Amino acid sequence: MVLTDLHKGETAVVVRLAIEQEALKQRLLHLGVKEGKTVRLKAAMPFGGPVMIEIDGQAIGLRRKEASSIEVK
Amino acid sequence: MSYIALFGNPNTGKTSLFNCLTGSYEYVGNWSGVTVEKKIGVLRQHGVSVVDLPGVYSLQPLSRDEGVATDFLLTEPCSAIVNIVDASQLRRNLHLTVQLLEFGRPVVIALNMVDVAEKRGVKVDAAKLSKYLGVPVIPVIARTGKGTNELVHAVLAAKDKPHSSIAVDYGVEVENAIRSIAEQLPDDVPGNKRWAALQFLEGNERIAAYLRGRFDLSPLLAIREETEQALGCQAAKHIYETRDRWISETIAATAIEFEQKPLTLTEKIDAVVTNRYVGLPIFLALMYVVFMLTFNWLGTPLADRLDAFFSGPLADGLSRFLDWAGASPFIKALVLDGVVAGVGGVLVFVPQIFILFFFISLLEDSGYMARVAMVMDRVMEAIGLNGKAFIPMIIGFGCNVPGVMAARTIEQPKERLMTILALPFMSCSARLPVYALFAGTFFAREQALVVFSLYVLGIVVALGLAKLFSSTLLKNENSLFVIELPPYRVPQALTLWRSTWEKGKGFIRKAGTFIFGGSVAIWLLTYVGPRGVGVPMDDSLLAAIGGLIAPLLSPLGFGAWQAGAALITGFLAKEVVVSTMNIIYHVHEENGLKQVIASHFTPLSAFSFMVFVLLYTPCLATVAAIRKETGSWKWTLLSIGIALTVAYMISLLVYQAGKIVGFP
Repeated sequence: MVLTDLHKGETAVVVRLAIEQEALKQRLLHLGVKEGKTVRLKAAMPFGGPVMIEIDGQAIGLRRKEASSIEVK
Repeated sequence: MSYIALFGNPNTGKTSLFNCLTGSYEYVGNWSGVTVEKKIGVLRQHGVSVVDLPGVYSLQPLSRDEGVATDFLLTEPCSAIVNIVDASQLRRNLHLTVQLLEFGRPVVIALNMVDVAEKRGVKVDAAKLSKYLGVPVIPVIARTGKGTNELVHAVLAAKDKPHSSIAVDYGVEVENAIRSIAEQLPDDVPGNKRWAALQFLEGNERIAAYLRGRFDLSPLLAIREETEQALGCQAAKHIYETRDRWISETIAATAIEFEQKPLTLTEKIDAVVTNRYVGLPIFLALMYVVFMLTFNWLGTPLADRLDAFFSGPLADGLSRFLDWAGASPFIKALVLDGVVAGVGGVLVFVPQIFILFFFISLLEDSGYMARVAMVMDRVMEAIGLNGKAFIPMIIGFGCNVPGVMAARTIEQPKERLMTILALPFMSCSARLPVYALFAGTFFAREQALVVFSLYVLGIVVALGLAKLFSSTLLKNENSLFVIELPPYRVPQALTLWRSTWEKGKGFIRKAGTFIFGGSVAIWLLTYVGPRGVGVPMDDSLLAAIGGLIAPLLSPLGFGAWQAGAALITGFLAKEVVVSTMNIIYHVHEENGLKQVIASHFTPLSAFSFMVFVLLYTPCLATVAAIRKETGSWKWTLLSIGIALTVAYMISLLVYQAGKIVGFP
C-alpha cells in the first residue's frame, strides 16, 4: 500500500521511501518522513494536486506522485 | 571581526530572536524561507556583531538560500553559534544541532516555542537537555523577547571559550574513515577536522567544492567508497540513522511526552482552507476582499481626503510661504508645479499602499502563505512551476524586488529562473498609483473590479510566459515540491505594524528621493525647450522626448507625447508615471488632474494605458535585482525585451479589439 491509498484522516506506518530524486528524499528525511514513522493523510487537493500529511505533529504538503512512492502499511 | 551566528531550522523564529537581540526590525513571517540572505546586526549594549542566517534543516544545502548558511560556516569566522531550536519539533531540530556541535565552535541553544510544545503535549526539560548536549540551553519566547537577557549572558560567557564537543559514535567503519580523512585535511579547514570529514562522508557538496579548490579529492572519494562498501549502504544514510538514534535517546531522557494532541485551531482552519472543493475559491475570495478594501471601501476615500489636503491647504500654504519669503517665480513654479505636483501626486496613494501592505503582512504572519502555495501547486505544476513559486509572486504584489529575492527558496534552478522572469508581471504597489489615478477617473464605480482585472492579467501573463519557457527554453526534467505547513498563529499587532511599516517605508523613502529628484528633473525638462526657457509645455524638451516614441504608441490609443514621456520616465520607478502626468497636466484647481486626463484619454485608451504600465518593463530596481539573482545580463535583457513586446502586443489587442467592439 502507498500513502495515497489512505483515506482522509487515516493513519499508517511508513515502510519505505521509494523516491528516486535524491534532493526530494533528503528534504523528506529532514522533515522527519522516514521508515517506522506514523503518518496521517490530512487533505488532498483536487485534479491530482498535492496531498497534506502529518508526521510528528508537523503538517507537510507534497505532490501526489511523490506521495504515491511512499510505501506504508 | 568575529560573529555570533544564528542557526536553526526554517520558521523557528531566528529573525524574531535576531530582532530582539539587536533591536532591528528585520522581516519576519510564518513560513519557511522568509530569510534568504544573511543579515548583520549588533548585539545591544555589547557591540558584538550578530548574523541572522536563512533556516536550514541540515548543513547540506538543497536550495540557494540554504547554501548561504553553510557558506557562512566555511568562509566567515564565528565566535559562537546560537542554535534556535523549536521545542515542538525537537527531533527534527536536533539533527542540525548535532552537526553544529560537531563543527566545534561554542554553541548556545535557544529553546523556542516551549508554549507550542506544551500545547502539543511535550514538555522539554531545558536543564537536562543542557546536560545531555554539553552546552547551555536557554528557554526563550522569540516573538516577545522573553529570555533574551539570559541568552545574551550565556552567549557572552561561552564566546571564544574552548569547547568540548559531544561525540556521537558513528561505529567502527565510519570512525575509521573519519580518522583517515581528517589526517589528509589541511590545517586551515574551518571547524573541526572531524566535522569536515563527516560532512564530506555525508556527501555535502559545498564542503567537497571547498576542498576541491585546495587539493585532489580522489583519495578522499576512495575512502568514502570503501566505507560505503563496508557499511553496505550509503554513508549519508548510516550517519543520519546513527544521529537519529542518538537523538531519540536524548529526547527520551529530556522530554516528557504526555499525549500527542493536535493543534485544534490549526486543524479547524485547515479543514476549511485546504478543503479540496473550497480551498481555491476561498483564496480568490480573500484576494478580492483585499482589493475591495484597498480600492473601494477604505483606501480611496482616505486617498481622496489626502489629495484634497495636498492640493488645497498644503499647496496654498506653501504658495503663501514662498511669496512671503520672496521666492522668484521660477522657484515658486519649481516647488509648486514640480515638487508638490510630482511628489504629492504619488504620496496621496499612501493609504491604498499601506492597506495592501497590511494584508500582505497578515498573510505572511498568520501561516496562510504556505497553504496558498499548496492550494496553488496543481495550477503551478501545469505550467511547469511549483506551488512554492507562488509565494514570491504574492510578495511581488508589494514590491517585485523582494519577490525576486524570495525565489531563492525554490530548489530547482530552472524553476527559480522562471519564477524570476515571471515576477515583473506581478503588479507591484508602485503601479497602484497609476491604476488609482486612471481607474478613479474613468471607472469610478467599477474601480476595484477594473484594478482586480489588471492584477489578474498580470498573473495570467506571468503564468503564460512561464508555461512558454517551461515547454521551450527551460524544459524541466523533475520538478520538486515539498512544503512545511506551520501551525497558524494570531498575528501580533506590533509585528504586523512593523512589517507593514517596513514595506511602506520604502515607498515613502522613494517619494523623498527618486521621485523628488525625478520630479525636479521632469519639471526642468518641461521648463526648458530647444528654443529657450519658460517655453509653453508643448515646445519643451520633455515634449520632444515624448514625441519621439509617441507615434509608436498611437496604435495603442495613447499617442500623445505626454503619455510617451510619462512611460519613459516611469522606467526609474513606476510611480513616476503619475508624477510626470501630474507635472505635465498640472492645474491649480482641486481634482484638476482627473478632469484634464479625462479630456486626453478615453476610457478605452486609459485601460490600454494601464495594461501597458502593468506590463511594459520591470523598474530600474527590479532590473538590478534580476541581474543580481540570475547573475546574467542575457536573462536580464531578455526579461526587459519580453516585457516590452508583451506589453505592446496586449495593449494593441485591448485597444483595437475594444474599438471594434465599440467601447468609448
